[in-house]
Amino acid sequence: MSIHCTCRSLRASRFVRLAGLWGVFVCNLATAMADETGAQLFARLCASCHGAHGEGTPQEYPQPLSADRPLTDLARFIARAMPADDPGTCRADEAERLAAYIRESFASRTTAAHLGLTRLTVGQYRGAVADLMASFRTPLPRDHTRGVLGDYYTMKPDRDNKHVMQRLDPELRFDFGRSSPDPKTIDLHEFTISWEGSLLVPESGEYEFIVRTEHAVRFWLNNLKQPLIDAWVKSGQDGEYRASARLLGGRAYALKLVFSKMSLMPSAVRKKTAPEAIPTASIVLEWTRPHRVSEPVPTRYLVPHRAPESLVVATPFPPDDRSAGYERGTSISKAWDQATTDAAVEATDYVMTHLGDLTGGIGEATRETAPQLNTFCRQFVERAFRRPLSDEQARLFVDRLFESAPDPSAAVQRVVLLTLKSPRFLYHDLVGNDAYSVASRLSFALWDSLPDAGLLQAAASGQLTSAEHVAAQARRMAADPRAASKLRAFFLQWLKVEHPPDLSKSKAEFPAFDAAAASDLRASLELLLDDQIEGQTSDFRRVFLADELYLNGRLARLYGVDLPGDAPFRKISLDNGRRAGVLTHPYLLAVFAGAESTSPIHRGVFLVRNVLGRSLRPPPDAFAPLSPSLHPDLTTRQRVELQTKAETCQSCHGVINPLGFALEHFDAIGRYREQDRGHAVDAKGTYANRSGDSVTFNGARELAQFLAASNDVHTAFVKQLFHHTTKESIHAYGPQTVTRLTHTFVESGFDVRKLLIEIATASALRPRDVVVQQK
Amino acid sequence: MTRASSRREFIRDLGLSAAVLPFVLNLSSVGFANPAGRKQRLVIMFSPNGVIPSTFWPDEVGETFTLKESLQPLEPFRNRTLILNGICDKVRGEGDNHMRGMGCLLTGIELFRGSVASGDEFFAGWSRGISIDQEIKNFLQQSPATRTRFGSLEFGVNVPDRADTWTRMVFSGPNKPLTPVSDPYQMLGRLYGRLKNQENMKSVLDPLLDDLRKVSEAVGAEDRKLLEEHATFVRALEQELRESNAAQNALAPPVLEAGVKSTDDNMPKLSKMQIDLLVNSFAADFARVATLQYSHSAGDATMRWLGVEARHHDVSHKPDDDADAQKKLTRINQWYCEQVAYLAKRLADTPEPGGDGSLLDHTLIVWTNELGKGNSHTLDNIPFVLVGNGFNFRMGRSLKYPALPHNRLWMSLAHAVGHEIKRFGNPDYCGEGVLSGLTG
Repeated sequence: MSIHCTCRSLRASRFVRLAGLWGVFVCNLATAMADETGAQLFARLCASCHGAHGEGTPQEYPQPLSADRPLTDLARFIARAMPADDPGTCRADEAERLAAYIRESFASRTTAAHLGLTRLTVGQYRGAVADLMASFRTPLPRDHTRGVLGDYYTMKPDRDNKHVMQRLDPELRFDFGRSSPDPKTIDLHEFTISWEGSLLVPESGEYEFIVRTEHAVRFWLNNLKQPLIDAWVKSGQDGEYRASARLLGGRAYALKLVFSKMSLMPSAVRKKTAPEAIPTASIVLEWTRPHRVSEPVPTRYLVPHRAPESLVVATPFPPDDRSAGYERGTSISKAWDQATTDAAVEATDYVMTHLGDLTGGIGEATRETAPQLNTFCRQFVERAFRRPLSDEQARLFVDRLFESAPDPSAAVQRVVLLTLKSPRFLYHDLVGNDAYSVASRLSFALWDSLPDAGLLQAAASGQLTSAEHVAAQARRMAADPRAASKLRAFFLQWLKVEHPPDLSKSKAEFPAFDAAAASDLRASLELLLDDQIEGQTSDFRRVFLADELYLNGRLARLYGVDLPGDAPFRKISLDNGRRAGVLTHPYLLAVFAGAESTSPIHRGVFLVRNVLGRSLRPPPDAFAPLSPSLHPDLTTRQRVELQTKAETCQSCHGVINPLGFALEHFDAIGRYREQDRGHAVDAKGTYANRSGDSVTFNGARELAQFLAASNDVHTAFVKQLFHHTTKESIHAYGPQTVTRLTHTFVESGFDVRKLLIEIATASALRPRDVVVQQK
Repeated sequence: MTRASSRREFIRDLGLSAAVLPFVLNLSSVGFANPAGRKQRLVIMFSPNGVIPSTFWPDEVGETFTLKESLQPLEPFRNRTLILNGICDKVRGEGDNHMRGMGCLLTGIELFRGSVASGDEFFAGWSRGISIDQEIKNFLQQSPATRTRFGSLEFGVNVPDRADTWTRMVFSGPNKPLTPVSDPYQMLGRLYGRLKNQENMKSVLDPLLDDLRKVSEAVGAEDRKLLEEHATFVRALEQELRESNAAQNALAPPVLEAGVKSTDDNMPKLSKMQIDLLVNSFAADFARVATLQYSHSAGDATMRWLGVEARHHDVSHKPDDDADAQKKLTRINQWYCEQVAYLAKRLADTPEPGGDGSLLDHTLIVWTNELGKGNSHTLDNIPFVLVGNGFNFRMGRSLKYPALPHNRLWMSLAHAVGHEIKRFGNPDYCGEGVLSGLTG
């Protein structure tokens, strides 16, 4: 990674609606006049580049101005650096008036955001279709039992097999060696085991499954009629089988693994085989989660109950707009429309091939079963539209199609197609603002999916009118794995690692840091976040203040901790309390660093934008970082100071660098260090609050304490979680919303799960006047 | 069947835009590529349990020969038939002859040792290599000019629902058997599924547009713009679907008799259905390569409609002096030959789209078997009967080779489509390369 990359990633902020005031002003050569007002000054000095209303000009400075800097800081900046082609010509009092004017005029811009019509995002589309089908099936029983049920047989199923035992196996990882799983009842030469249960999927994405065994095996996932891996014929030396599946986070998928040890010897030979010539038997089921390396499926993701089959729409969709920093369904395209057609066809095929299953036993669509199918179809439409149908709508969406279609089978297909192509399914809040709208907003906020039966029932019985009732539903729903999955995705986005970056490090500097270490580190970070999401307490400040982190045997060696090489992840306190939660998590420290040395700039930019919630404009040019070899005597801190000392750089780097410097005790793979290039590390840093106060800190712990207590950080976190949850701008909810939510967050002891519930409730109950305009 | 001399004309005749065509016809976007080059197609048809040599092989070599009882059904195609005697499956190794006869037939390479046992011995697994149909398919799929939507289609007739060394002859690579589709309705869905959906889609566009109009009226001006944009996409889809009417009529899928279950007694019906689908998929250029597998190695169908009340495999073990068994087996092979002849006839009756002549002028059928002879289980003199003019071989002959390995025949097929491989399967059996005398 280079500074060039920083620039490119920062450039994306051009498109952020509320881009910052870090502008390069250009001087208007008119003579300054005494006692001009802020507005007059702006018109004379600034408008040529920033536009008459600070909206920006395409040639000079395209971003609209906002003012999220402290007033004094802003004034100082203007006096020092503006206008850009003749800096320093603005008097201090003029700069103050300008700053005040800009603050007053452009900070309010943010409240004007329009709460427009949006469609389901791609993730919401897939979730909604999956849950729509799931609503017609018996849900997986939820309990705390983990593991899978194993049925053990003495022979292959297609010969004389005899069931000898059933037990709960915590993992699908066995090494029977040359013996039997149960020597008393099971012959060691030939036996079969069938494991059944379900897989709890933590996050959406492409999962790879790997089965390793010397013997015959079949593996089913989701669809128990069609194996995902079929190696029932053992052939040659193959002992590893792979297959991939796209899965949705927060859902469970049925799995079945059948293993059969065969001797591959005529029975006469088998009887005479010496013990050491008996073939060994082992089997393991591994998975590769998105952006990870493979591992045996951990026990906590296995349950011994069978989940109903689920539909994961395979049709590819064009990606959603992310220019505002979160996925939004604000625009449509031909490609999107085509994808909704293809996906509707896919779902229709699915309904037809699973009709009996979905309708509770109507095997075939015939004239006789048409009335029952009509009932099914009406339910289907109502669930997809998230509200009951009027009689007229029932006629339009169901009855008329049954009358006009050539046969009942075609009628069902047409209902499904029309439903999934309808704007009532594809868009949010299209009609009405009633209890059903509240239910929908709540479920999309918490689950990115349709309301469940309980929520629709609450809407029908008029329970969703008070904040109290809505919050009660939100609390119930927040306990669902789909909410945890959404919160997990949010944390990764907040930490700017939702799309894992390349973590290659210099082999010379960090010979032991490889892809497995990078994957382990990501797992370690996610475990830390899981504590936050699913643990006993959900105190946001622990994200910064926890001094423990999860290490396994491989990582322990890398980070100087004594653990057995194959030790699984466990929580460990290391470096004598110098660690500070995610700030010093080696994954983030390595992500925001170069291949050879640290990058205080990357770390600082991350802290400024994601943690402190301030905007940065892109640098005027792309720069490569100064090579350490050009200045062998300088520390990284000194090199960065040297490269960014110019006034034009300092407007941003004056904020960025001192934050990044506070993490200099951690090298490019996040190991603690006292020295950098032979000099003692200087980890002192500063930050000017929005209120104008300057804070200083020395090292990561002090920085963490500052951040954990910072109102800027709390506000930024609330805003970002709001955007991720609702996929709408918090500004559209009025300026008081962020203040109120932040206050509640602080009052709750920084409980993230409560904040999620508050946000979902607030957005579900948004007042009528900001609702999409109705005629 | 619409005839047109090129993809462009075909589209023009139907009033379609190129962008619409794949959706409409479920075609690959290059389905009608290569208008200038000669289209070449291959069908490999399999039937089990060997033949009765005395009623199968012509006595003569050359252009003048008599088709004996087993091959009698090919009489109408005699001058488009090439009979190759003396081609042997020389591959040895794991498995018994029924297993190797199947797994090495199209691959020309040994089986892995594995868990499929014949009785309590001969443990074998899958083939160690790719089969020739897949080799040729991969070659054709490489080039945009010959690429088709499916590349190859694997048809089955009464192939049992179990995967083992006796039931799989097509391999996409070592240890990668492909499952033939024995259910014609499943194949129909695969080939034409979206056509049905398209019909349904068309029928719901009016209510959909009505609905869009209705909800548009209920929202503000800003939001209405988005819904109006949405409506333009729906209208565009409507337009595309309307234009596709002609295309549907041109390449309508065959109408299959409903509810035909996979039983021995239904074999004749299933065979006809699959052949009709195969010919259709060639006409639509869904694929240039197909396999058609009847039953399986050591297949034990009871072919009552031929008056044979015993299982085919059981009968095939009877000694040569069992006249009744010889008669039955001849009749069974004659029936399989009738299927080859029906396929050839359907191809001959179907004009080549965008080209001259018929589909049979651009198709080579290869009919083969896992054994030379059922009661001896020999892998020598495996029957290879070629029909059709797709491969520039000189047809209308009966040839006799001096016990040459069948790998060389497969190499000849590859060379005939321009894929000049130096070996195929086990190199030990590739000797002097392609078979001589096929083209000249």
